[in-house]
Amino acid sequence: MLAGRRRFRLEPYVEFAKRAIAREATYRFDVFTGLASFVIRVYLLRAVWVALYAHNAAPPGLPLHAIVTYSTIALLMGLLLDIDQTRALYERLNDGSIATDFMKPISVPLYFFADGTGEVLFHAALIVPGLLLALIFVHIDVPSAGVLAAFGVSFVLGYFVGFFLNFILNCTAFWTLEISAVQLIVTWLTDLLGGQLVPLVLFPAFLAPIMYALPFAAMFSTPLLIYVGAIGPDRYLEVMGVQAFWIVVLGGVATVLWRAGARRVVVQGG
Amino acid sequence: MAGLYRQYWRINLLTTLEYRENFLLWAVFTVVYHGSAIAALAIVLTAFPAMNGWTFRDMAFLYGLWMLAHALHNTFFSAVSDVPERIRDGEFDRVLVRPLDALFQVIATPGQLFPDELLLALVFFAFATVYSGVRVDAAFVCLVPPIVVGGALIDLGINLFIATLAFWFVKVDALRWLVLQLEAEFTRYPISIYGRGVRLLLTFAVPFAFMNYFPASYLLNKHDATFAFPPQVGLLGPVIGVAFVLAAYAFWRIGLNRYQGVGH
Repeated sequence: MLAGRRRFRLEPYVEFAKRAIAREATYRFDVFTGLASFVIRVYLLRAVWVALYAHNAAPPGLPLHAIVTYSTIALLMGLLLDIDQTRALYERLNDGSIATDFMKPISVPLYFFADGTGEVLFHAALIVPGLLLALIFVHIDVPSAGVLAAFGVSFVLGYFVGFFLNFILNCTAFWTLEISAVQLIVTWLTDLLGGQLVPLVLFPAFLAPIMYALPFAAMFSTPLLIYVGAIGPDRYLEVMGVQAFWIVVLGGVATVLWRAGARRVVVQGG
Repeated sequence: MAGLYRQYWRINLLTTLEYRENFLLWAVFTVVYHGSAIAALAIVLTAFPAMNGWTFRDMAFLYGLWMLAHALHNTFFSAVSDVPERIRDGEFDRVLVRPLDALFQVIATPGQLFPDELLLALVFFAFATVYSGVRVDAAFVCLVPPIVVGGALIDLGINLFIATLAFWFVKVDALRWLVLQLEAEFTRYPISIYGRGVRLLLTFAVPFAFMNYFPASYLLNKHDATFAFPPQVGLLGPVIGVAFVLAAYAFWRIGLNRYQGVGH
């Protein structure tokens, strides 16, 4: 509560993010596993799409190279978006150390944001070799600078949608501590319903509108469709507006849950 | 040992009853895990009707066969994958001082073990059998159980190989994770879609293809253009499973004899 009255300073949060990067760097070996897993998956998805396109008519507007590009970029995005960057919240609730966090002169949610972003930034190091391998072995398409920039903006918006979804999920740990199964369930559902595994344009006609109406599409599908050009510049404003809408809605829910949960900690702590 | 093993299952089931909410949660987890994989297959194969001569109906059977064997392994042998962690913690040494076979003790370590995946796999397999239109006759009824047990043994063999590596290397989790991913994702499709190297890998090195691709090809009367094997290779699963487990067990004995503890 004190934090609100003080003048906001950015430096502590930059420091939190740096610490998170250093902490993650001790698990360097996981990076290689992540990269190996990425290569295996790219191989698999390419084999799958090649086999499917060889014996069937290509769907309109989605030739083989576009769908291979889509799936490869989706995997690269998954390396970052499938990280639960607010897991620290759950862990600190679990071992009770959240109580001391509240005493520190910082904004606790911002601390989690900085910590999680540091973690994600470290894993972003995987993107470079991953992208190089993808360019060399499966020849993914590289769009124009303008489209890349739009993709970048849309990806960042999608990152915030994912951050708030994870934050909400971890906030439920204020009430119940058994959430690891729920988290994995949500990750898989996000991958499927967000169009990471299969582009939403291939979903049956009756399902697609429902998928587009869910926040998961704002994480994966929107930036990806921008990248492969299925969403043209004329619709950028509209689709990014929808992403912003989800950030506002989920951010609101996260704030309400956080306040209710924080009050609970204070009550329980006496 | 039989009496001990019965006690082990009694404890597991009592634990499950004690933590009913957890059980329900993990049951939902299992449904979503397999459900999202099957849904992705269904969506893709609705948009593209066939893959190397396999329709969604065929691939549902392919998935069902793998799921059943894998669930059988997970229900009875999943504790084998805890060995690396137990070695790291120094807790494994306790197994060595007891007058019982070490592997038996590992397999019969009580925990929260739910037969939910096996039940779900049985239901899905029954559905996929009807849905795929595979001919269910006396031969089918006689062949499927050994094929499934053989598949579970292939799983166990690989699991035991990786667990045994932990006697030499402290961290093998990454390797296990990669192999598991290879298994879960590459068995979803007919192996004829892969390049020659990967097909050889899945047939001879980590023989996951004998868990579902070869038996499903035989039962569904699919001509396998991959290696030009006669269709009867689909029935070799149990033989390969037993051979694989025996080889893994021999490796395990070597590791066990060499093991000196991690220095706690």
